[in-house]
Amino acid sequence: MAWEYYLVVMLVYLGTDLLAVWGLNLEFGVAGVANLAYIVVVAAGAYTYAVLTLGPSSNLGGFQQYIGGFTLPWPLALLAGAAAGAVVGTIIGITGLKRLRQDYQAVAMLVVSLMVATVVSADVGLFNGSAGLALIPNPFSTLDPETARWAYVGLVAVCCVLGFFVLRRFTTGPLGRTLRAVRDDDVAASAMGKDVIRLRLLVQAVGGGMGGLSGALLAGFIGGWSPSAWVYIETLAFLSCVIVGGIGSDRGATLGTVIVAVLLLQGVQFLPQFPSSPGLSEDLGWIVLATATIVFIWLRPQGVLPERRPRYLGKAVSPPPG
Amino acid sequence: MQLFIEAIGFGIATGAVIALGAVGFSVQFGISNILNIAYGSLMTLAAYVGLVLINHGVNAWVALGLGAIAIGVASVVYHRLLLAPLVRRGTRAIAMVIVTVSAGIILQYVIVAIAGPDSQSYGQQSGKTFRVLGLILSAGQVAIIVLTAVLMFGLHLLLTRTTLGKAMRATSSNRTLARSCGIATDRISDVAWFVSGTLCGAAGVALAITTVSFDFSLGSLFLIPMIAAAVLGGIGQPYGAMVGGLVVGVSSELAAAYSNPNYKEVVAFAILIIMLLVRPRGLFGAAWSTRRLMEG
Repeated sequence: MAWEYYLVVMLVYLGTDLLAVWGLNLEFGVAGVANLAYIVVVAAGAYTYAVLTLGPSSNLGGFQQYIGGFTLPWPLALLAGAAAGAVVGTIIGITGLKRLRQDYQAVAMLVVSLMVATVVSADVGLFNGSAGLALIPNPFSTLDPETARWAYVGLVAVCCVLGFFVLRRFTTGPLGRTLRAVRDDDVAASAMGKDVIRLRLLVQAVGGGMGGLSGALLAGFIGGWSPSAWVYIETLAFLSCVIVGGIGSDRGATLGTVIVAVLLLQGVQFLPQFPSSPGLSEDLGWIVLATATIVFIWLRPQGVLPERRPRYLGKAVSPPPG
Repeated sequence: MQLFIEAIGFGIATGAVIALGAVGFSVQFGISNILNIAYGSLMTLAAYVGLVLINHGVNAWVALGLGAIAIGVASVVYHRLLLAPLVRRGTRAIAMVIVTVSAGIILQYVIVAIAGPDSQSYGQQSGKTFRVLGLILSAGQVAIIVLTAVLMFGLHLLLTRTTLGKAMRATSSNRTLARSCGIATDRISDVAWFVSGTLCGAAGVALAITTVSFDFSLGSLFLIPMIAAAVLGGIGQPYGAMVGGLVVGVSSELAAAYSNPNYKEVVAFAILIIMLLVRPRGLFGAAWSTRRLMEG
């Protein structure tokens, strides 16, 4: 059934997008690190999952080259993907520690994203260069195709539920309030004895881990992964979900993912196709997404479901300017 | 040795184009304090405006002038209609970057949607080459280097010899103080965005003239080298950006000549990241520019 297949693809994409958007919202919305290199942690997870499950690169006549090449069971490979995301996220986070203006920090991260993509595309020995990796094993390939598809949806759902519980540990309670304090005024927070550097790196690791898991799940489902899947503007897609939904709000990020990733980007696919320009709907998708981002920053910077400000003595704390 | 000299020659030609763009970027940033990532897409737009003009039989150098002015105007409109209102609403710097990245993406994909994803060419490569001090340069490259030198000298005269230039420098170093001295800073802002757009447009058309073919990614490929050059020279400082452009151009071409050519862009990336992390005020930066780069 075509529609059933479409539904499965949508659900898997929604799940992996949710994990990534939650991770980015933790970094950007809750902790205030504008990580424009976020897609790199997703790629790290995907490549790690791929090389740990593909087996030696001499397989199938060695038509693709890559480092490593193991045949680990898929749960271990998924965990390793998340771990790789956490490590790469922490390394990227180190670039963000310097007390630069926030917009400079964002550009430094953007450049990190471009640089990693250039190196991975150019170095064929690493992950098969710009052609990318193919035939990444699906965890449920032994089952019949239809059951395997729904089993994958189940796996993604389980990961999302686990991911959400991990996320809530960091966005709520004392730790959540501390992170928001660091975001709003890091000098004041460190004056109160909070270790700003440790907290920022912690968030980068957790956010990176969620991104890595998202990438690993995506690679296992699609079966392929190449640099064209993680160009820097993909980060903007996640960021757009966060901004539309509500910066710093978990419910907002969730709603934003549904609105942007599902309604907007899928809606564009249903527009009439012009045979003269086959790539038009994809181009239009980016135009719609970027426009939505600007419109929200202009008209409703707090998003559809804004972050709840804490109340003390019955009075809401005023949001920071801007 | 031959390889070295050739790389230097190419580096100077590339560096001239980067310097043009970087100076424009720097002038605009100095005055408006906005990191305009859409600059690369404006450059792409310039190349396509030039293409349309040349296809209508306009001479390449006239097309360069017209393209430059068109982008200058587009740049003013873009600032007036999108960025300035957002700044007035108190949008934070980080959100402004996201806006300019988004604006750049919109412009780039509108160009793709209209002009198509195929590569384009101005289709006129003069075969004539020049030998200057052992460097071999094509006629187009020599013309671009001369053009850059002329435009840079013109900008120098504008900034140092005219009242307008003085007002621009005053606005750049302290906007509030400049306004209280009676300088119409909003109008100066318009002028800065126009000058910046003009240089951006000139760089875009010049780039399209010297390369064999180009596509919609032209500007985004050159954006980072231009920002690297601007930061290297100390952001907001046009003279630094000129030197920065040459340094970035020559070092990228040397890296391409002596290692994997695919790593050419990585040099500019690395320069930018190292400069931002180690010496964000630039090589010859003054203390005030450091303060601006830190938070607040």
